[in-house]
Amino acid sequence: MSNFEDWARATYLQAGIEVNNDELALVEMIYVSALSQLEMLDRIDLEEFPARGVDLRHAPKAT
Amino acid sequence: MTHPQDLTLRQQSEAIRRGDLSAKELLEATLERLRDRDPAINSTPVVFDELSQVQISQAPAGPLYGVPITVKDMYALPWRAARNGTTLNLIPAGASGPYRNLRDAGVIVVGIANQHELGIGSTGIYSAYGPVHNPWNPLRCAGGSSGGSAAGVAARLVAGSLASDSGGSTRIPASFCGVVGLKLTYGSVPYDGYFGAATTFSAPGLVARDGGDARMLTAAMLQRPLPQQSGSGLRVGLVRQPFWNDVDHETADACTKALTLAGWKVSEVKIDNLELAGAAFLARLIAEAGIPSPEVFATLSEPTRALLLAGMLAPARFVPRADRVRAAVRYSLAAALETVDFLAWPATPSTAPTLDDPWVTLPSGRVLVDVPNVRQNSFANLTGAPAISIPVGLSDSQMPIGLQLLGPWGSEARLLDAAEHIERASDRAFVNLVAPLAR
Repeated sequence: MSNFEDWARATYLQAGIEVNNDELALVEMIYVSALSQLEMLDRIDLEEFPARGVDLRHAPKAT
Repeated sequence: MTHPQDLTLRQQSEAIRRGDLSAKELLEATLERLRDRDPAINSTPVVFDELSQVQISQAPAGPLYGVPITVKDMYALPWRAARNGTTLNLIPAGASGPYRNLRDAGVIVVGIANQHELGIGSTGIYSAYGPVHNPWNPLRCAGGSSGGSAAGVAARLVAGSLASDSGGSTRIPASFCGVVGLKLTYGSVPYDGYFGAATTFSAPGLVARDGGDARMLTAAMLQRPLPQQSGSGLRVGLVRQPFWNDVDHETADACTKALTLAGWKVSEVKIDNLELAGAAFLARLIAEAGIPSPEVFATLSEPTRALLLAGMLAPARFVPRADRVRAAVRYSLAAALETVDFLAWPATPSTAPTLDDPWVTLPSGRVLVDVPNVRQNSFANLTGAPAISIPVGLSDSQMPIGLQLLGPWGSEARLLDAAEHIERASDRAFVNLVAPLAR
């Protein structure tokens, strides 16, 4: 088994979910694709993106 | 004689008010049409024959008295738990907030609108009730997750439906089925008894045949009047990359033509940090989707299981960064909306793909349709803003094309003004089209 399979199976075991090999192959494909998109967030400059409260019901208040 | 479900929702309401049509006659005609047409579409797998009669006897004399609608499987009803496209009762029976608002206007909930299971999909293919078929071509998908809402309205089974939208789930099927789909501003109605309460993306959506019908439903849902104003002279902003550049040519051409017909002042607009919006949406969506119980997991289709299983592995470190990006792009959107009245781009990157091969070919390549569908729609969910999909054309393959307009928070009335203006400018050429399975 690959490192991904070992890690994924251990994670799912903790959640009480059984997965088969075919399923894991599809999961890995989705995971790798999602991770490549999410890693864009690792590259943001936190100075340029301050933590601010969000009220989704309204336009953001002027700063 | 015109079948009552060939009338608009406005006409149905007016006919009842004038005494030309009774609520009971309208209901019976609706039930008959559901029996006749829906087996080929599967938009409304659960129909409340007897309970609908009871509702008529209890309905208040509101603006929508006696008008039958369907309700997506995401909302608890007093007599039925919300199942979210699964076989399980996930939210106990009760009067959910969005249902209460429509009930108080006098609607009759005639059935449950089919949906993609757990709302995790933009095709409507995977559902405990089976796939929803598109009334324009039953081999094509109706979109999702609110596919049953859009297909039922397009097939003229009902004139309106309560849908939901967490990443385009109202606008995508509306675009695929050639009807109007409006996603409300986040948090604008009570969320109790609604699956949307579990996320920061979801908002109820309304599906109707045209802007006027959508206005009636929206006013009932928001419980405030939405007076009609002229939609002419508005300023519209185009965000080219990626929303116009990576869509098929027929779709872009039809949307461009509609904007030209509208005569609006069109300008190019830049949204700062837009390139990060998709990642921010994904990070938060994964975190908020959570982990269903093993009992729920066991009932799900393979693709839905795989999506959830992949999400379980995503590192949590992305979430606080996503929140910073979310806050920033909301400021970017607000700044853009100071220069224009709304933004516009195609609601979906193409027309509806087939049920057995839900992939599309775009300038960027061949891709599973869910990916660009969510890209075209999730910005409204990330920011909380309202957005609408309006039918603006038919492709060479005779499938509908939808234009999306995204406006400031709380601007539902203006979005509907714009929708009705486009309808007038096009002589109602597209909202009056009748799907083959509705003829």
